[in-house]
Amino acid sequence: MKASVKIVFASLSMLSSLVLTSSFPKDNEPYKLSFPYKHAGLTERQAAAHLLSRFTYGAKSGDVDALVKEGLEKWYQRQLDGDLSDKGLESMLEPYKDINLTNDEVQNKYPRQPKVLRMAIKDGVINKDSIGKGDQKVYRKQLQVYRESKGYGQEQDLLRQFINQKVLRATYTNNQLHELLTDFWFNHFNVSLTKNQCAAYVPAFERDVIRPNVTGKFSNLLMATAKSPAMLIYLDNYTSSGKPVATTDIDEMQMGMSGMKQRQVKAIKQRKQGGGLNENYAREVMELHTLGVDGGYTQSDVTQAARVLTGWTIAPLGEDGAYGAAFKKVIDRIGAANLVKNGFIKDGDFLFVPTRHDNEEKIILGKKFAPGGGYEEGVELLNMLAHNSATAKFISKKIATRFVNDQPDPKLVDKMAMTFLRTDGDIKQVLITMVSAPEFWSAKSLREKTKSPFELAISAVRGLDAQVTQPYQLYNWINKMGQKMYYYQAPTGFPDRGQYWINTGALLNRMNFGLALAAQRIPGVKIDLLALNNNHEPESSEAALNTYSKLIMPERDLSKTLERLKPLLNDPELTMKIAKAAEKAPVPQPKVNTMMAGEIGMMPEAIPDSSAKRKTATTQKTNNSMLAQVVGVIIGSPEFQRK
Amino acid sequence: MTSRRGFIKGGGLALFGIGIGGIPGFLAEAVAGTQSPGLFKRKKIMVCIFQRGAMDGLMAVTPFTDEYLKAARPTLFMSAAKGSSEKPLIDLDGKFGLHPSMSAFEPMFRDKRMAIVHGIGSPNNTRSHFDAQDYMESGTPFKKGTDSGWLNRAVGLLGHEAATPFQGISLTTSLPRSFYGDNAAVAINNLQDFNLQMKGNPASVNMAAKSFEDLYDQTSSNLLKETGKESFDAIKMLQKTDIKNYKPSNNAVYPNTALGNSLKQIAQLIKMDVGLEVAFTESGGWDTHFNQGKETGIFARNVNDLSESMMAFWTDMETFQDDVTVMTMTEFGRTVRQNGNGGTDHGRASCNFILGAGVNGGRVHGTINPLSVENLEDGRDLAVTTDFRSVFSEVADKHLGIHNDKVLFPEWTSKTIGVMT
Repeated sequence: MKASVKIVFASLSMLSSLVLTSSFPKDNEPYKLSFPYKHAGLTERQAAAHLLSRFTYGAKSGDVDALVKEGLEKWYQRQLDGDLSDKGLESMLEPYKDINLTNDEVQNKYPRQPKVLRMAIKDGVINKDSIGKGDQKVYRKQLQVYRESKGYGQEQDLLRQFINQKVLRATYTNNQLHELLTDFWFNHFNVSLTKNQCAAYVPAFERDVIRPNVTGKFSNLLMATAKSPAMLIYLDNYTSSGKPVATTDIDEMQMGMSGMKQRQVKAIKQRKQGGGLNENYAREVMELHTLGVDGGYTQSDVTQAARVLTGWTIAPLGEDGAYGAAFKKVIDRIGAANLVKNGFIKDGDFLFVPTRHDNEEKIILGKKFAPGGGYEEGVELLNMLAHNSATAKFISKKIATRFVNDQPDPKLVDKMAMTFLRTDGDIKQVLITMVSAPEFWSAKSLREKTKSPFELAISAVRGLDAQVTQPYQLYNWINKMGQKMYYYQAPTGFPDRGQYWINTGALLNRMNFGLALAAQRIPGVKIDLLALNNNHEPESSEAALNTYSKLIMPERDLSKTLERLKPLLNDPELTMKIAKAAEKAPVPQPKVNTMMAGEIGMMPEAIPDSSAKRKTATTQKTNNSMLAQVVGVIIGSPEFQRK
Repeated sequence: MTSRRGFIKGGGLALFGIGIGGIPGFLAEAVAGTQSPGLFKRKKIMVCIFQRGAMDGLMAVTPFTDEYLKAARPTLFMSAAKGSSEKPLIDLDGKFGLHPSMSAFEPMFRDKRMAIVHGIGSPNNTRSHFDAQDYMESGTPFKKGTDSGWLNRAVGLLGHEAATPFQGISLTTSLPRSFYGDNAAVAINNLQDFNLQMKGNPASVNMAAKSFEDLYDQTSSNLLKETGKESFDAIKMLQKTDIKNYKPSNNAVYPNTALGNSLKQIAQLIKMDVGLEVAFTESGGWDTHFNQGKETGIFARNVNDLSESMMAFWTDMETFQDDVTVMTMTEFGRTVRQNGNGGTDHGRASCNFILGAGVNGGRVHGTINPLSVENLEDGRDLAVTTDFRSVFSEVADKHLGIHNDKVLFPEWTSKTIGVMT
């Protein structure tokens, strides 16, 4: 099986070098792109809308015009480069300063609860006999005061800042493709906030490991993830050892259990004496990150790869060293300058510890790793995996699944895989091949993806030009719709297919989200529906439907949607009922009744009690409420769930 | 056979035409507390409760004759002897004693409806909460990348199409690892939220509902169309009862806790006969490193909540008791020896509780050897003598009729311990 795959790839890549080399300039040269959308029968505007649906978090009003004006290929090229100015976004991110902290700084500023507790007990602030007894509120308050007195933050606040920035970036960055790719690669190399031990290192993982590498060489991405604290903890490689463990090398001693008796420590030591090979990372790096589950490796390959990666762990972080505390003393003793001489490799937060490394011979996928390979054999292994033809295919298929459709055409995947192999795993080139292929533009790809809850929420706020001042409110809705961002527990990451996102409860919440957003019932997410239409108030609900569905879903065939909704909107009885009910309702107080008027404006602050003006206000209220409802239904409609 | 959904459709029930909130008369008769008219074959239901944080099985169900345990827990050990303290352990069989705050379990145990398995745990000896929960919920103790959870696979193995969207339900804010996977499973934190939420007047609410229903009915995407239909059916189903003013049967009183409220809602779903077959919920606070307490304290409060909630559920189930089995689980147990903070640290085996008519109850199953150091795992922990998969698969097999344990728990060969009759 594997051999035949290789042969196919070899012959295909020969073919590709003949046919395609000329159309792929070197990195520094300008791209000469040409998108075959006309062959697929698309107009330039339709093609622009398709590009926006695939490479942004949703079109804003006017985006199609702007894109056509700039030129489709030029736009894509600039998105691939990803260096457009983002001043507006940067000022919005100002309040979330701690997302810029290094892991070292995070460790110092956000120590974990058990550590704070131990310190508080040591400092006599909390009596350990009182824990769990008496008033829990008092106890929590004591702990909070203590934490503040020490200048410590709560990890939840850090994670909140991190989540807020995710929502804001997706909504406002001009470099939309880079943002989507950051999401894609994060999910591919998933780490999870559900694992407490690694949670605080996840912001740096996204910022330093994923984000800078999203259009680069795949091998760089793989290497950076392998050496990151978040991944080392999430898939346990930081504990993996091929040799008996040194006495001080017991993570529970620094991190975990408080007040452990000497006897118990000894017991744990005994438990670990046999050497602790942990295969979790080695298995998932093959199954999920590179080769894919059918990539032709065996359990023996997994075990041997795990042995190759023994000793790959985390450098001391922060004042107390955290997970690298055991090595802090070692490093201090031999001196930072002498690390390499002693077989250590320290690279940022990564540490290779030679005394934990299994130095015997290993054989992986038929390749022999000679004894004494040290750190370098791990690098060699990861490079080998990154360049495997199964990896080329697996990664290409995953990219096509995300950006084209749930079942990408095998021909398209083959083309992308060829580019992957030919360009040393250059992600940018793979993305160019994808969009240059007719399959990208075929009818099977148009609007065939179901938006994830995150994509739905962000596309809605982008489409309505919303001002998001409380991003976490959106995050809560996204969670309700079935996507708890950054909390997906399994290393597989969120599945990327419509069936996963669309279930009963989730779908209902999508409709509710649309209604809530349009009616301004989501705090900190402001919209101005009239401004979206140049402050023209639609004359009827039908006009509202026509105008706003086109604004929110540009270049789509909406005839069916409109057809279904019109009779409802035109039901005179219904309109009357709504008007009547609105009349009965008290005059809106903007604060309480935000869903009616909100920021749509023009409503005087206080309405004089004259019947004429009252009537005007009522009419307006009815209209605004009708408009909000129409827009809510559009957001919750099946058409808007697709992209 | 008439499926639930077929019935709803066949009844021509166009609720939105009538107006949301209107309850059709014939459905209104099938209100909470009474069984449905018997149009459908009732299905068996398995309810799982995950005790997150690792419950101290040795304090919940104490081998009170064990002198080693007594010595290892100078301030935590409780005795079953009357007069030894205000509240002695409840002597179950001369060897094991139930924590006095779990007295709610005693009648169910004596009645042979409840079984206990002691020494249950995972073959993977990780002491990390995250890893151990992950392994237990995926059902693959040595593999992290398993994309599905065991309860999701259980749903897939039920052998029939889901008649309703409520076949697999988790009473949690987001879907737990146990329910990850390809089979439909829904996380609902609160049944009352399961509706179109609008603050407007009834006419506009009705219009939005009608608009959505029409749009989803006509969409070209089958996925959206089918799920849309299911969603509206589901709303209609739930509307037939007054969820907010639910009155449990038999004067059952649920504790006003997260677990109590979850079990109450599961009971409502079961009585509404909406097609529920696998339910999940969880309880927290079991990570008792500090001042675990004895007759009172954190642990006593937790087990009291667990036992009172389960008892209320069981009492409330009344005529449904034959259909329901409840099973608890926790990621690992705690150290035999107490620590310096009046608590216990991460250990290995714990115990679990299984409640139901088909349970081989009134017994403490499993093996616990004397807790001398040489019998302990790694010299410190209660040894795992029963693999959690043998108990989970036996309950799933006997209660839900799921025989394919190769799919339910891959890379594992079934060994039952007779916890079900």
